[in-house]
Amino acid sequence: MSQTWIRHGLSRRVLNPRRQAASLAILGMFVAIFIGALYLSQSSATSTLGRQLGELIDERDQLQQFNEQLRAEIAGYRTVERLLRRAQELGFVSAGSGDIEYIVVDGYDPNRTISVVPLEADETPLPEYEESFMGWIQQQWDSLAGQIEQFNSREVSR
Amino acid sequence: MQLRGEFNQQEVVRRRMPFVIVAMLALTGLLLLRLASFQFPLPPEVQSYLESLRDAGYKQTLELAADRGIIYDRNGEPMAVNTLDYMVGISPNLISNPREVATQLAAALGASELEIFEAITSDVLWVQLAPRVSASVRQQIAALDITGVTMTPIPRRSYPQGPLASQVIGFVSGDLKGYYGVEGYYQDQLAGQVREREISNIPFDLPQITTVGHGRDVVLTIDRDVQFIAENELLRSIQETGATGGTIIVMNPRDGEILAMASYPTFDPNAYYNIEDERQLINPAISENYEPGSVMKVITVAAALDRGVITPDYTYVDQARINVAGIPVENWDDQSHGVVDVTQLLVQSLNVGAATIAQEMGTTAFYEEFDDFGFGRAVGIDLQGEESGLMPVPGDPNWSEANFITSSFGQGISVTPLQMLTAVSAIANDGLMMQPHVVRQFVDGDQVINAQPAALGRPISAEVANEVTQMMIAVIEQGVDNAARLPGYTIAGKTGTAQIPNAIGYESDASITTFVGFLPADAPQISILIKLDRPRGYWASQVVAPVFRRLVERLVILMEIPTDDVRLALNAQGGSVLNIQR
Repeated sequence: MSQTWIRHGLSRRVLNPRRQAASLAILGMFVAIFIGALYLSQSSATSTLGRQLGELIDERDQLQQFNEQLRAEIAGYRTVERLLRRAQELGFVSAGSGDIEYIVVDGYDPNRTISVVPLEADETPLPEYEESFMGWIQQQWDSLAGQIEQFNSREVSR
Repeated sequence: MQLRGEFNQQEVVRRRMPFVIVAMLALTGLLLLRLASFQFPLPPEVQSYLESLRDAGYKQTLELAADRGIIYDRNGEPMAVNTLDYMVGISPNLISNPREVATQLAAALGASELEIFEAITSDVLWVQLAPRVSASVRQQIAALDITGVTMTPIPRRSYPQGPLASQVIGFVSGDLKGYYGVEGYYQDQLAGQVREREISNIPFDLPQITTVGHGRDVVLTIDRDVQFIAENELLRSIQETGATGGTIIVMNPRDGEILAMASYPTFDPNAYYNIEDERQLINPAISENYEPGSVMKVITVAAALDRGVITPDYTYVDQARINVAGIPVENWDDQSHGVVDVTQLLVQSLNVGAATIAQEMGTTAFYEEFDDFGFGRAVGIDLQGEESGLMPVPGDPNWSEANFITSSFGQGISVTPLQMLTAVSAIANDGLMMQPHVVRQFVDGDQVINAQPAALGRPISAEVANEVTQMMIAVIEQGVDNAARLPGYTIAGKTGTAQIPNAIGYESDASITTFVGFLPADAPQISILIKLDRPRGYWASQVVAPVFRRLVERLVILMEIPTDDVRLALNAQGGSVLNIQR
C-alpha cells in the first residue's frame, strides 16, 4: 500500500516538459524582477545621493564664497585708519617716545631654551568593516521599502 | 492536392532554413566581432573621436578658474582677497507680476523702475538688469525670492587696505591677471591652475567632488603698520615741503626684508582704472633712476677704505674748489676746510674730499668697488618693473673722466632708491649685502615655503663697515644732519642733496633730497631711505633729516626698539632685542 503511494507520488513529481518550461520561465522572471528591483533601488539610491552630494557641493562653494566675503569685510573693518579713528573716539592718544618706558627684568633671558613636550599621536584604531552580504540585502530591502513608503505617503498627501 | 502543396511549402522552408540560420549566425558573429574590436586598443585619433562622441551626449566639461591666492602682510593682515560681484539678469517670460517685481528690483538695484519694467515686459528670453552688483545687493535680491532672476558670480580682486602699499602689491585687472608689484611678479603662483570638472547629465552618475583650486597664498615681509606710518609721514612731509613726489623704504639690513615701501603719488588698486597718469602705477622705489647726491660719499669712503687706498686716519687739505678732469668741483658751502680727515669729510659733506679720494683710487678700483655694491644692475627684488640704475664705466660712450669724479659724490651716476638703501644696508650688516625681498612665505594648502634670505655679496669687510658706521654716527651727532637725531638712540646716517639734470646741465633751483640711515647704529634693526623730489627747501639736511627723525620716533615705539641704555643692559644680561620678534 505504502509502496504504491510512494511510487504514485514520485510519478506525480515528474512534470511534463511544458510545465517544466513554464516553471523555469516563471522562476527566471522572478529572479529577473528581483534583480531588476534591486538594481532600480540601488540606482535610485545612487541618484538621490548624487543629487544630495551636488547640493552639498554647491552649498560648500557658496559657503566658501561667503567666507571670502566675510574675510574681506573683516579686513575692511580692521584697516589702520579705521582702528585709529575708533581709538581716538574712545579717547586714546598716540604715545610719544617719552611715554614709553622700557624695563630690564633681572634674570630674564629671552634666549632661554624652551622645551616643548611632543604631543602623543592619537592611536584610536579605525572601526572594523562589519557589513555582511545579508546585511547588505537587508539594507537594500529597507531602502526599497522606505522609498515605497515615501512614495505612498506623497500620494496620500496629494 | 492541398496536402501536397503544404508539404512542398514546408519542404522549401526546411531546405532554406539552414541558409537563413547560417546567414543570421554569420551576421551576428560579425556584429559581435565588430563590438569586440572596440575593446582593443584603437588609433589615438579614433579613440579620441569616439570618446568625444560618447561624452558629447551625456557629459560636459567645465573649466574652473582657481581662486587667486590671498596676500597677507607679515602679521597675517589680508592685503588682497577675493570677493564676488554678481551680474543680475531676468527671464521676462517667467514673471507673472512685472509691476511689483520692477518696484522691488528697482529698490534693491537703485535703478530706474521704468527701465526695469520695460526690461521685464520685453519679449526676449533673458535680459541683463545690472552688469555688476555687490554681494550685499545680491543678498537683498535673493531675499525677494523672485522666480526668473539670475545672479551670475563674477570673481573680483579686492584690496581691503585701500591704497596702502598699492605699489608693492600691484593689482589684478578684469582679465584676472596680475600687473605690477607682487601681483605681477608672482602671477603664476597666485593664480593657481585652472581645473576641469566633468558634469554628467545621467542622473545615476555621482558628481565629481572637486575641490576648487586655490593659488598659493603669499605672506609679505611688509608690516602693514610700518607701511601705514611710512605712508603717513611721507604724505605729511610732501604737504609740508611742497615736494612733487617721494619715497620711503624701511628695510631689515640683516636679512633684506622690506618692512615698508611707500611712494607718492600712489593709487587705489580697487579703482586702478581711475588713475590720471599711468606712471602712478609704477613703483618709483624700484623703477626710478635718480642721481643720489652726497649719500654716495659714504660708498666712496667705504670703497676706498676697503681697497686700502685710505685709512680712517687719512687726511687731505681741503680747498673750496678744485679743477679735476676739466670740471670745477666745489664744496656745497664754498668754504675751504683746511686739513680734513675722512670723518670730517662726511660730517661736512665735502665734494672736494670725495673727488680727492676718487682720484687716489683710480678708475679701475673705483668702478670695481662700486660694482661690488651693485650699482648699475638690478638688485633682483621680487617685484615687477625693477630698473638697474645707470653707472657709465670706462669704455662706455657716455663715460668721461669728469663723470668718474662726479660719481664719487653722487652726480653723474643714477641709482634707484632701493639700490642706494641696499648698498648702505651692507655697511649696517657688517659688510654683507643682502638681497631685498618682499615675500616672506608661500602657503600652499598645508605646505609652508619660507623665503630664504640671500646675500648679494660682501662689498666691504666687517672692519671697514664698522669704521664707516662710526663715521656715519658722527655725521648725525656732529654734522649738518643733526636734525635726524633721536634722543636715546644712536643713529648712523647721511643726507644727499642732488641737483636735477636737464638737457643743458642741471636745474639751478630744484633738488632731490635723500636721507639714508640705520639704527641702532651698533646693532641695526632697520635701515631707512627717505627721498623727496623738488621740495621747497633745497638742502636735504633741512628737508628730509627732520622727516627721518619723526618717522623713527614712531617706528621705535611700534617696533619696540628700546633705547640704547635699555638694550645694552639687556645685552649685558645675555639677552638680545634682535631675537624679539614683533
